[in-house]
Amino acid sequence: MSLSLDATQLDRYSRHLITDEIGPEGQATLLDSSVLVVGAGGLGAPVIQYLAAAGVGTLGVVDDDVVERSNLQRQVIHADSDVGRPKVDSAAAFVADLNPDVTVETHDRRLSPDNAAELIADYDLVVDGSDNFPTRYLLNDACRLAEVPLVNGAVYKFEGQVTTLVPDGPCYRCLFPEAPDPGTVPDCATTGVLGVLPGTIGCLQATEAVKLLVGVGDPLVGTLLSYDAMELATERVPYQQSPDCPVCGEGGIDSIAAVDYSDGCGIDDPQPNA
Amino acid sequence: MDVTVDVVSETTHEVSIDDGATYADLLSAIDYSPQEVSVLVDGSPVPEDQPVAADTVQVVRLIKGG
Repeated sequence: MSLSLDATQLDRYSRHLITDEIGPEGQATLLDSSVLVVGAGGLGAPVIQYLAAAGVGTLGVVDDDVVERSNLQRQVIHADSDVGRPKVDSAAAFVADLNPDVTVETHDRRLSPDNAAELIADYDLVVDGSDNFPTRYLLNDACRLAEVPLVNGAVYKFEGQVTTLVPDGPCYRCLFPEAPDPGTVPDCATTGVLGVLPGTIGCLQATEAVKLLVGVGDPLVGTLLSYDAMELATERVPYQQSPDCPVCGEGGIDSIAAVDYSDGCGIDDPQPNA
Repeated sequence: MDVTVDVVSETTHEVSIDDGATYADLLSAIDYSPQEVSVLVDGSPVPEDQPVAADTVQVVRLIKGG
């Protein structure tokens, strides 16, 4: 790690540098860190924006969508002139304008069981800004097997959730053992979503990411933070690591190869860990 | 049996159920489907087909939007 910040960096990050909790060492850690953001949509946009501003040195962005005009009500890193452009390219251009210290690695593809392990392996931390259950369960399983921390967030109409999944804590399946059947839980395209809501939740995810990278504060490990935008209220829901969890429990899976992420994401017969 | 059902970020319900009623029955009484939520007892999810064995549960909605 290089602790030497140049004059421009001393200026850019001055509000971090003067805090005892981050300081020059923490800032140098951020500059040397890499984060994979899965989804450059409602949640991914503020995550990318704030992690780039914070000086996280390498940001990977995974998304296979193009910018649509209906995205712009909440996906604040994309602009009207980006409509039709791949989201990863729009995100990279946004970051390049914001902070030249940050390298963006674009992955213009959908996260899948075939590429998840390879994508995750190169990063210190992953942030889940996806919009579907197969990706959420796949990320949980792949990150746990790779021992990479994962910051999970999700939104629904006026409600949001955040939780942080670290290698020695409970995983997403300890809270939600299996995904609902396809089509039983509505998505934002069907129900709508308050535009600023993913901004709030994405900023909380970015907060967790910075804390984990720098090693300060108390992350939301074993706690789900539920946010109600209509009441501006939060509720913390503690949850336990399950000894029977098919991923992080005893005898959990050692590969995602046998997991069917297309339907319920269930794991019927976990293989013993080697 | 009376059960306090805390639907996280929503309403807390006081529900009376018959002996032997399952967690799915408990959810049905407040118009939720086991497909859309996780029922937690002491911070751990309980199977929907098991008889209710707690007088307080938390219900957390599964949401996926991003």
